Amino acid sequence: MSQTIEVLDPVAPARADTAPTARAAARSLRGATVGIIDNSKPNFSLLADDLERLLIEQQGVARVLRHRKSSASIGADAQVLAAIASESALVISGSGD
Amino acid sequence: MSAASHGALGLTLCSSAFAGLGRAQLKALGQPGLPILEIEHPFGGRSRDEVRAIAHTLIAQIAAAASTATAGASAAGTSATSTSAAGGVEAVRAIALPSDAQAAHIECVRRRWSDGLPVIAPTPERVEAMIAARWPRDQLIATLAPGFGEATIERIATNAVLAGCEPAHLPVLVAAVEAVADSSFNLQAVQSTTNPVTTWLIVHGPVARALGVNSGANCLGQGNLANAALGRALRLILQNIGRAWPGEMDRATHGQPGKFAFCCGEVEIDHPWQPLHVERGFALADSAVTVIGASGTLNMNTHTKDADQLLDCIAHSMAFPGSNDYHYCGEPWLILSPEHAAVLAGAGLNRQQVQQQLWSRSMMTAGEFTHADFLRTASMRAAEFPQLTPQTRIPPSRTPADIGIVVAGGPGTHSVHVPTFGETRAVSRRVGVPA
Repeated sequence: MSQTIEVLDPVAPARADTAPTARAAARSLRGATVGIIDNSKPNFSLLADDLERLLIEQQGVARVLRHRKSSASIGADAQVLAAIASESALVISGSGD
Repeated sequence: MSAASHGALGLTLCSSAFAGLGRAQLKALGQPGLPILEIEHPFGGRSRDEVRAIAHTLIAQIAAAASTATAGASAAGTSATSTSAAGGVEAVRAIALPSDAQAAHIECVRRRWSDGLPVIAPTPERVEAMIAARWPRDQLIATLAPGFGEATIERIATNAVLAGCEPAHLPVLVAAVEAVADSSFNLQAVQSTTNPVTTWLIVHGPVARALGVNSGANCLGQGNLANAALGRALRLILQNIGRAWPGEMDRATHGQPGKFAFCCGEVEIDHPWQPLHVERGFALADSAVTVIGASGTLNMNTHTKDADQLLDCIAHSMAFPGSNDYHYCGEPWLILSPEHAAVLAGAGLNRQQVQQQLWSRSMMTAGEFTHADFLRTASMRAAEFPQLTPQTRIPPSRTPADIGIVVAGGPGTHSVHVPTFGETRAVSRRVGVPA
């Protein structure tokens, strides 16, 4: 009862990994720029306010760049994201409710 | 993952219920090692003090993740190496299935290839017959979010076989894949949202007639091969190639029955106006498809033969405070039955006048929304309503022309409202095969 038939796999494999891996992160965020992408879901802007203050006060982050998406369901504007990412050691984003 | 491509470390804060989605999304993007920090779900309803406490907890975790993420990201980067041939698309793998039909069914469900119902085994011979030498097997039609799987002709055909399609159906599916991959359809969000949105496929023109796509009685229901198989095949393509499996990257709170299959045609003989594909720029003799991000169906039953009352009935049925179309400035759709369309046309109304009347009559006052949705609407529709107040009257779309109308269905005094996901736009594509 172990007879089989050959079929083709309908599932596409996960996309090839062509993206670069993260660059060497600083051991400390001290003096660094951090980006925060606000997904516009409830409470995230408040959390971002708190994180911005704590990153600067407790972690010595030099500055925080903030961007609020127009909607959680739409990706961040590519140019804005590129600008933030190019200046930042770390970019924080949010997902979920 | 643009952050990574620019050299920054990306870190995601996820409410715990969606951490699995976050991890799957990172894997799909080829960055499975990037850090995710979880916040207990649900986060959105937390008090201000609770948010502060969460921030204090997170700050040390963020610093720790930043200091240790390099190794993790690099290791993950190497482990997620491509399974594709260099510079080419990934070949479809052959797999052994039990030859016994019941055992094969169970195995297909276990592999999550099916929608839970039995499928046709996609043997190489059946897939070959499905393609029928009309396209190169490895031709890439699109890459489908959220998993970014490659929708090659062979893989589309494999899913078409699974769903019970015939070779004549394949050109429709190829066009549908092109359509859902258009950026304005917003497939990433359509596939991964908590909303019940699914893809409604409308088939237009000669191909609809040739395939016997039902546009008449019970056109959204069961019993027709083309409607069932085409709708099902598109769902399996979105699931298996887009890698949107329920509970993983498909995060629908409930989903909807239309996620099994949602496909119909449009009536031609009883149509009082130009059919939809002509409205959307195609010739009457063209074959085409339209895909719509549909969040459900609402039956609107009225026996009135008075156009003014019918417009009120439809317009008021479109307006409900939980509608994404109102919050996000959407594109609500209507399936007018031939009888209802005849009432409107009999009163001298053309399509544009019907759209204008419905747009005006379906406005809600923003005060009818919950406070949270009022704020969301104020943010999303700020360009239209920079000074939104509870008294502001809000239409479901930016313009009357954004109300979609298709005429379909059998005899009866019913029409259907199809609210949409809101942040999606219908996309049409011509159906054809290579010369």
